[in-house]
Amino acid sequence: MKNKLKFLTKQSLDKKIKTKWFKGVNILLLVLFVLIMNVDRVISFFGGDFEEQITIYVKDEVNVYDSFVSSFESTSEMLGESKNFVIEQTTEDLEVLKEELTNTTDKILVHIYPDEANYMKASIISYEDIGTVSTQLISSSINSVKSLVAVSESGLTEEQINALTTPVEIETILTNPDVENQAGKDIVAAGVMLIFILPCFFLLIMLVQMIGAEVNDEKSTRSMEIIISNVPPKIHFLSKIFASTAFVIIQGLLLILYGGIALIVRNMLGGTGLAAVSGEVTSQIGEILQMVKDTGVFSLLLQGLPIILILFVLSFIAYAIVAGVLASMTTSIEDFQQLQTPIMLIILVGYYLAIMAVQFDGSVFIEIASYVPMLSFLLSPVLYMIGQITIWQMLLSTIIMALFTWVIFRYGLRIYKVGILNYSSSKLWKKMFKSLKQK
Amino acid sequence: MLKVEHITKYYDNNKAVDDLSFEVPDGKIFGLLGVNGAGKTTTFRMIIGLLEPTEGKITLDGKPIDYDVTDTIGFLTEERSLLTKLTVKEQIIYYGTLKGMKEEDILRELDYWLERFQITEYKDRKIKELSKGNQQKVQFISAVINNPKLLILDEPFSGLDPINVEMFMEAIREFKKRGSSIIFSSHRMEHVEMFCENLVILVKGKSVLEGELKQIKKEYRKKNIHIKGIVDLEKIRKISGVSKVIENADEIIVKIDNDSIVSAVFEVVKKGKDIIEFSVEDPTLNEIFLSKVGESYEK
Repeated sequence: MKNKLKFLTKQSLDKKIKTKWFKGVNILLLVLFVLIMNVDRVISFFGGDFEEQITIYVKDEVNVYDSFVSSFESTSEMLGESKNFVIEQTTEDLEVLKEELTNTTDKILVHIYPDEANYMKASIISYEDIGTVSTQLISSSINSVKSLVAVSESGLTEEQINALTTPVEIETILTNPDVENQAGKDIVAAGVMLIFILPCFFLLIMLVQMIGAEVNDEKSTRSMEIIISNVPPKIHFLSKIFASTAFVIIQGLLLILYGGIALIVRNMLGGTGLAAVSGEVTSQIGEILQMVKDTGVFSLLLQGLPIILILFVLSFIAYAIVAGVLASMTTSIEDFQQLQTPIMLIILVGYYLAIMAVQFDGSVFIEIASYVPMLSFLLSPVLYMIGQITIWQMLLSTIIMALFTWVIFRYGLRIYKVGILNYSSSKLWKKMFKSLKQK
Repeated sequence: MLKVEHITKYYDNNKAVDDLSFEVPDGKIFGLLGVNGAGKTTTFRMIIGLLEPTEGKITLDGKPIDYDVTDTIGFLTEERSLLTKLTVKEQIIYYGTLKGMKEEDILRELDYWLERFQITEYKDRKIKELSKGNQQKVQFISAVINNPKLLILDEPFSGLDPINVEMFMEAIREFKKRGSSIIFSSHRMEHVEMFCENLVILVKGKSVLEGELKQIKKEYRKKNIHIKGIVDLEKIRKISGVSKVIENADEIIVKIDNDSIVSAVFEVVKKGKDIIEFSVEDPTLNEIFLSKVGESYEK
């Protein structure tokens, strides 16, 4: 019977994988991954107004040009915008300058002039709206200049001025020994959502629908009778569970592989090693990674990964069991699509609670929900990674999930045995509840 | 030998099969007849182990039906039980493997049957692309691929033209010669008459007639007299024991209640003109079936 189980599992898996649709969808996924990871290059490749270098003409009547340039450059560099601007001082007549701005979008005139009440005032003159980033950069630079003037006029020494103008160093200290640093909590949660939860969400939907379609196909063609006359329902049920779980694992691994390929492509396009993978974006990614690293998330991930993976596999199996049982009860794919709605709702509830876990930090409700089977695989890893639960609590969720999976398999099989050979929807629920009592 | 002993099956309070017993020795073809809903499918499902009888037992060569025994059974269902998205080869490998066969054995048998049914070109075609008749051939091959010890054929000729019916009949006779026990079910009584040595007629799950076909016909009192010539039909109709007189284009059929009426009919026919045929024949199985089923429903 083991050979038959192996054969049925292989058949079921082949039916999902050895199709032109599977190949086509995966090629599409790979292309999408590469495009998403290199979206900045794609945008740059096609070009646009964003590539224009903007010249800022400064007509300075207060003698603060040098301070303005220095402040503007440091702020724009911090925002990664330094390459887009060139600053030039001008002494030309204002009306002539305004005339020169006509019909151009790559020139801005900044007029700084004295004011009795406020020491100085400024005008930003352009032909069209210059956008939020440019406005903010210029505004903050002028304000910064004004502060510097104020400090220098106060009679302080150079050291005192330097000390006052240096940014304040802020250190974050957490007293919870389980979490080293929570500064990047949002980033961690977003990462867990993106890497684990979102793919799992889609894979689960695929899993539920595939089992439903397969069982219904076998039922509606009556081939189920031939199959079940040769293998026990338990073997048939197990083959469906194994095949669909194997499918989502394979598809999940392929998604990880596509992510890797997309990174390699990005690296190759960047040209000079991983450190130079696409200039500013890479340096931003590096900063984010550093921030995430500072939270201690990588060591957390390393410790928790085996449990997370077991929890995922158990959850896939549990969903496969539920989908298989529901599919066995229905006589058409349309009926199954209606009956699968509760499963979809459970997945959605878990998904939204996982998103809300960061917003409602320390929520008792979400923590309790992380122990609830079918939801735990979406909640526990997120709560663990952001430090709301410990590894032992996640282990407890996994044990509960394992017990739940065993129980639903045991009782689900009783329904499955009766359901797969039932072709009538009359007194369906009565029949199914009755089957629960049969061993 | 298949032995069905006093099996009864209940669905809730509904009795689908009621104390049914029969035997199918090796090398014999057995007819299981009945109108729709008579309990045939339930009986088949119990024989192949899909359903447990509420009472009674079923054995094949003395062994109760389990998953070791079902590997030696072939079952052709009334509805198409094929996975239509598979190719013919994939489908047969699928069912053959479930029967515990090795792939090389399955392929060898498959080639033999494809050749025999003249559909070798469809080996790698998807089943959904085949005609109804060719799908039925594939279904038949899937039922016999394991050279079954017990072959259950539920409406095997459905969707077949007369030439293919003859082809199937030959194949079934071959299995009979090989010593397989065969259970045959059909609504076409002429097919049952051609094949079955023994039969049972089910009405509402209960056997209303069972035994050897020849004996059943012999014991069935009603006969048909076939007459070719010019006779006084009014006189025949007035004879006590004549139930019906049918005038066909080239012959007259007189249905009588028992053998004792024959001489009285013959006396009338003797006085007729241009008589070229007078023969007394057993009723057809169809007549017996209609009569028995009708009687049971009247009860």
